[in-house]
Amino acid sequence: MTERDDHDLGDRFHALRRDEAAAAPAFRATLAAARARPVTTSRRPALGFAVAGIIVASVAVAVLAIRHRLPNDLATVRLKTPTDFLLALPNEDLLRTVPQLGRVTITLDRRTP
Amino acid sequence: MSPEALERELNQLHPAAFGWALACCLGDRAAAEDALQASYLKILDGRARFDGRASFRTWLFSVVRYTAAGQRRRAVLRRWLPLALLGVTPDGRPDAATELVRADGTRRLTAALETLPGRQREVLHLVFYQDLTIAEAAEVAGVSVGTARTHYERGKAALRKLLKEEPE
Repeated sequence: MTERDDHDLGDRFHALRRDEAAAAPAFRATLAAARARPVTTSRRPALGFAVAGIIVASVAVAVLAIRHRLPNDLATVRLKTPTDFLLALPNEDLLRTVPQLGRVTITLDRRTP
Repeated sequence: MSPEALERELNQLHPAAFGWALACCLGDRAAAEDALQASYLKILDGRARFDGRASFRTWLFSVVRYTAAGQRRRAVLRRWLPLALLGVTPDGRPDAATELVRADGTRRLTAALETLPGRQREVLHLVFYQDLTIAEAAEVAGVSVGTARTHYERGKAALRKLLKEEPE
């Protein structure tokens, strides 16, 4: 299928073919080596399944370990962050309790200027 | 086809099949021999069957190509998995023994071929080295004839340019 002006490339490839054909292993030796190869077709899928099983088991163990550390009811957990103190107000209890007549619930913080 | 006839055909095509296996394995002789042995084994134990739709040669080349691609995939996998520590993985480069037997001219050709995209390299090898038609090369490479022709033309132009750039 090569065109007339492709002879230069054809010659180079044919030289490569001659070199490689001269260095090719003997057919009988290749055939003997092929027949001596262990049949690995049944072992390879097994190895794949084993690796996949190990990965799945590792992920399952990791998930279980994380869940074990977490409390069951997340609604009861108060999230605490390092900057929580910035949101703390003086006498913030007043905001959560019902004021009663005759009872003073305000406490003066002497540190506050 | 009887086992004796199969062996006869394989014997006749053995040098060409070895050359094709080397091309599929980027000149790595050990990998090429491995791919060829695995291909012969597939053919002889009936895992790969010749159904007569193509010529025996193009069918054999397809089997070798498929087997070599499978080996490359496994080599990549071994490189990424810890199992790579258990064995040597080929790096996909021509080994010293293959380089030694190549004359300077052919060494420059293979060096230039290595820089081409895989499909172009395959089609050029099949057409120029194996003297297949573009239609047969398309069949081996598993692409349409139009695609193979495009790879052929582009590959040829790129290879010529690379060989011209190389000092004589």
